[in-house]
Amino acid sequence: MSIEFETLRGTLEKKPPVRLQVQDLCVTYKSARGPMKAISGVSFDVEPGSNFGLVGESGCGKSTVVKSLMRLLPASATTSGKVLLDGNDVLAMNRQQLSRVRWAQIALITQSAMNSLDPVFTVGDQIVESIRAHADVKHAVAWARAEELFAMVGLPPERLKEFPHQFSGGMRQRAVIAMAFSLNAGLLLADEPTTALDPIMQDQIMSRIRDIQKRLHRSMVLVTHDIAVVSETCERVAIMYAGRIVETGPTHDVLNKAYHPYTMGLQNAFPKVVAKGEKKPPLISISGGVPDLANPPAGCQFAPRCPFATAQCRAEEPMLRTAGNSLVACHHMERATEFRRAALKAETWRVEETLQ
Amino acid sequence: MSGDNTTVIEGRNLKTHFEGRNGLISAMLGGKSETVHALDGVDLHIDKKEIVGIVGESGCGKSTLGMTLARMYEPTSGQILFGQQDITNLHGSKLKSYRGSAQIIFQDPYSSLNPRLTVEQIIREPLNIHRIGNETEKAARVAEVLNRVQMPPETYLHRFPSNLSGGQRQRVAIARALVLRPELIVADEPVSMLDVSIQAGILELLNQLSKELDLAVLYISHDIATVGYICDRVAVMYLGRIVEQGSSDDVMHSPLHPYSDRLMAAVPSIDATASRERVHLSGEVPSPTNIPAGCRFAARCPAATALCHTVEPELYEARPDHKVRCHLYLPEDRDLRPDLERPKAHPFA
Repeated sequence: MSIEFETLRGTLEKKPPVRLQVQDLCVTYKSARGPMKAISGVSFDVEPGSNFGLVGESGCGKSTVVKSLMRLLPASATTSGKVLLDGNDVLAMNRQQLSRVRWAQIALITQSAMNSLDPVFTVGDQIVESIRAHADVKHAVAWARAEELFAMVGLPPERLKEFPHQFSGGMRQRAVIAMAFSLNAGLLLADEPTTALDPIMQDQIMSRIRDIQKRLHRSMVLVTHDIAVVSETCERVAIMYAGRIVETGPTHDVLNKAYHPYTMGLQNAFPKVVAKGEKKPPLISISGGVPDLANPPAGCQFAPRCPFATAQCRAEEPMLRTAGNSLVACHHMERATEFRRAALKAETWRVEETLQ
Repeated sequence: MSGDNTTVIEGRNLKTHFEGRNGLISAMLGGKSETVHALDGVDLHIDKKEIVGIVGESGCGKSTLGMTLARMYEPTSGQILFGQQDITNLHGSKLKSYRGSAQIIFQDPYSSLNPRLTVEQIIREPLNIHRIGNETEKAARVAEVLNRVQMPPETYLHRFPSNLSGGQRQRVAIARALVLRPELIVADEPVSMLDVSIQAGILELLNQLSKELDLAVLYISHDIATVGYICDRVAVMYLGRIVEQGSSDDVMHSPLHPYSDRLMAAVPSIDATASRERVHLSGEVPSPTNIPAGCRFAARCPAATALCHTVEPELYEARPDHKVRCHLYLPEDRDLRPDLERPKAHPFA
């Protein structure tokens, strides 16, 4: 058995990290009010072994992107574009090809781990089942792998024999993370993996995910609304708004030298912990709400909330263009230095509020 | 602090315990149901114009504290003073009238507003229940609070919650809480369901209302970064008790208790160049049905000694206006068990 276990480990460890290329992804949902364009022309690349952050507010389409990468969207959604895993298009795969890719090449950690475990099976049996669905090994071998995974996320191996309801929320989330790593998939999709958890547990789990990713050299797409987590985890980031990427580039550049007014606004609104005695920058909210995707405004989607919007913004949709090390979709990105200075002042954003 | 006319509410040694459910068979066999010690001896006061933050992990009793102060729960023991009045065991019409002065803002504005009522009806309901004012006065009060939360009444009065964004819904919930002109507001995770771009506006509004209307606000949250923005004082709770209390600057930047220290270190930083020490805290929070002897944090504290596992430390004022419940800070002459080994140094310093 131990030889079989070593063989399994050996094959799993030899798995290369995946290169993910998303090209012009569009997703439209059918709804009673007509078609809703949830994703419009999203493209990004995740280099093998790197972490990519997808940031935005609720309804911006970040979870839809993740679901379409795994082909988990409901039947009411039509998808176009390409999702290439090492050059193979996931969107063009048949069922059989797809089930070979899922979990073995792409693994998913969802937001609500509470609901992703089956209540009538022990946690160990569920992990073993997922391993044996893709690797031809005996139960005992898969169980040994499950014990190893539990140790990796800091859970005692004897708890594999317990049912999900015997676990606390944090432990269930860790069990789901262990499961996602079970076949050492080349690409990990983590959709708000720690949002439901307490701060201490959040930090412990994020640093655990980071460690494993680094040690095993895996690729990851991390979806979150928390720019601080992205800043600590991801090499590159994309900021999404109304189903589009509005700014993307190296995390450090995007967060420190934003070119898109939405990125600037998001940073102003994000509560920061400053050093003792240092003055806190004021928290400034972005007034208004996200546009109705069934009836989107003409031009730039952010224009109705943007303090710098002009007639051109309200008429023409901006395309992604190069600015520094980033790609930015803003007609006026040449004026970014001026915007950055103005964006720090609460008055700049308040003007818009009276117009609303 | 009591007798001081700026204190709005004060809890003294508050305990709120819940009887656990017991199965039929176990009850027939004479088994006792378990008691959940949700709130287990808390002292806290909030002054006019003051926002006090309560932080801690889920299950530490922070919401129970809020609900007990608002008298949605009756405390098992202890005392609550509202101004000069003892409201610990009020019932009937006196309790109803107290609840008019202590209002709650809940976490989820999607479920705390009745979807079948208009904004006007939602805000008017507390006035009807408390029989305040005639029709003209009611309409005037509704308009006044809507203006306070920056939602022009002419635009929003006749809308339904389904036509409002999350931030606007939470503003309506705040307006409803304000319409009875309360002195105390318990805000239980008021922004955790909202998007980052709008939560700032709600926090700013709470801050402004507290100062303009002389409100005492209890702000309950697990998001420590937001607490730093609006709170004057912060209390850290662990397993039903306050383990540290002080000005928000002191507690967030120089936490004394090993647990608060880990809690503050767990906040991710947007500045990736600032290297942050990683948090490692083993074990889980003990069950509130079976509270261990000694310090409640001892099982997870690397510095815990025999003393910590035997005697529960008192909440001691280790620095001016900065209290901590940890044997590390208790002076030798107040040690009741000099025979037991004391913790030597801060485990994470």
